[in-house]
Amino acid sequence: MLGKLPDKFCVYTIFLFIAVLVILDGRVFSLKNGGSDLKNGRIDMNQSAPLLPKSVGMWTRPDSPQVVTDKNIFDYMDGAGELYLGYRFDRLDVYEYSAQAQKEILVELYFMKTSDDAFGLLSLDWGGDPVESISSSQDEEAADFAWPRALYGEGLLRLWTDNVYARVMAMQETPESKQAVLSIGRAIVKDRKSPPGPELMGRIKHSLLADWSLRRDRSHFFRTHHVLNSLYYLSHQNILDLDLKCEAVAAQYENRVSEGDKTRIQFLLVHYPDSNRAKQALGHFHEVYLPDHPFVTKTGPSGEIAGLFSVEEGWMAYSNRTEYIAFVFECPDEKTARLVLDQMF
Amino acid sequence: MTLTRRDFLRGTLGTTIGASVLGPGVLKAGWKASGSSLVTVVREKNAMDADNNVNTAALKTMLDQTLIKLTGKTTPKDAWLSLITPDDIIGLVPTPHLNPTHPEVVDAVKSSLVDAGISAEKIVDAQGGPDKPEACTALIGLPGLKAHWLTGIGTVMKLYIMYSGNPQKYHNENSANLGEIWNLPFVKGKTKLVLVDALHPLCDKGPQVDPRYKWAYNGLIAGTDPVAVETVCLRIIQEKRKKMRGESWPLSPPPICVEAADKTYGLGTSNWDNIKVQHYGWDEGSLLG
Repeated sequence: MLGKLPDKFCVYTIFLFIAVLVILDGRVFSLKNGGSDLKNGRIDMNQSAPLLPKSVGMWTRPDSPQVVTDKNIFDYMDGAGELYLGYRFDRLDVYEYSAQAQKEILVELYFMKTSDDAFGLLSLDWGGDPVESISSSQDEEAADFAWPRALYGEGLLRLWTDNVYARVMAMQETPESKQAVLSIGRAIVKDRKSPPGPELMGRIKHSLLADWSLRRDRSHFFRTHHVLNSLYYLSHQNILDLDLKCEAVAAQYENRVSEGDKTRIQFLLVHYPDSNRAKQALGHFHEVYLPDHPFVTKTGPSGEIAGLFSVEEGWMAYSNRTEYIAFVFECPDEKTARLVLDQMF
Repeated sequence: MTLTRRDFLRGTLGTTIGASVLGPGVLKAGWKASGSSLVTVVREKNAMDADNNVNTAALKTMLDQTLIKLTGKTTPKDAWLSLITPDDIIGLVPTPHLNPTHPEVVDAVKSSLVDAGISAEKIVDAQGGPDKPEACTALIGLPGLKAHWLTGIGTVMKLYIMYSGNPQKYHNENSANLGEIWNLPFVKGKTKLVLVDALHPLCDKGPQVDPRYKWAYNGLIAGTDPVAVETVCLRIIQEKRKKMRGESWPLSPPPICVEAADKTYGLGTSNWDNIKVQHYGWDEGSLLG
């Protein structure tokens, strides 16, 4: 009995040692893989990094990512960095999978401060083919209102999963590289939450005045004027006083009946942090965009400030209620402009 | 003054840019062309294979044809020697990343210069900070053709942005000022040729590449007037976008740097009617309107 104690001790010790190693390795791997799981002394699950496979098909990634922050993002991607700083950006992890005699697969994991921001980045371009196998089973959004969560086209997979926006790009699309890209995509979304899209997107009506229907592929969530300008140009300057505390939606509606040039209208809805900011922004917009029209504040029955104007490309209108401003541009007539805003609020 | 969508719709952009960049009443004289600016577009269907690998033999032929047609000389050597001298320190300026210039294009230009009798030691990479152009007596711009999400187009005018020493100064609304970099004392007058790599351009979402917006144009676009070359590039990108969507799909934001380079900085012409475009080779999908 006594003679067997050392053996048991050894077995227990080895078991304990292995258990500690496994735990430590998990921690180390997680830190290598993500870099900032520990934040302010606690594990922030929202910031945890997806666990990417070490190898996928013929491709293998390095152990740790290149980490890009707001300090060095321009070194990594030149002016494209402004796009990510135009949302609430935390950091970017970059992996390059390589394989012999194959071109690389680039994986970029953009960690945003909120799920809305990750959604916003995907919403900039709804093109490509939706990838059903990457949409999470935990989808918290009603199916009939669900936005795609993953889009693939010609070697590039873009996806939104909780606070992560990811781009996975095969430098050369082949059947093998496509499978690898989709496998990496599935690993990125695995065990992550799938919250619904931004609340503000839910305010966008799917049809207006019977004849106008939403172009879902031209509906976008954003916060800053640089991003607005890439979607719908109003001015090179920030005439809507947008910043990262704002949230906004740009959406296009198409007339199902009429033909010719006046078949589309452009809608913008901006949510400011408070009603004073919204009022000031409206004044700024009017002063710069409509200098030939006096700024006459007409207060409506619900306390809203509204205006209707004939400009170069048809009729436009705005309406400010509490901390929201809605705009409509390129309306074929005054009546349509007024009714669109009435329906939106 | 603030540029708005309405300035574009009214067609008053040039006046507004001039006033906003230089102050009211200080609009510089525009391009004083002694004739029209010549831009050549040379295309070869087999310039890339199905996997978009560059066919270097076809590329050499395209480059030779470009040089001869642009200068009116009979050989590439004579063409080079009408643009530069053997004593020049020649800086090649490619687009460095995010749909970069194909290295095969840079190599083809180097080889062609050496074949023309230019010493290889006098041919340097001039992409980078202000010290690069300072060390050169002649520059050859070799930008890749691409749209850009902050400036509309990110090809010719944006090529020298690093020469400013402060590239962020030229983002967003300040992109109208990109032309001023070409007038810096250590840059002005040194650009002898702009040769655009239009083998595999990008027509949207640049500079971050989305392959859905790339296509095999298989072309080289060249000229000695950088604004005219950019204007032709712009036409190709806009026509491609229209073709992709089957409807007008304007670049957003609008590429104000092109008109400003003409009307404010006098670097060349952005007026299509003053540009003589000569197209050679593969005609299908030339997108030249």
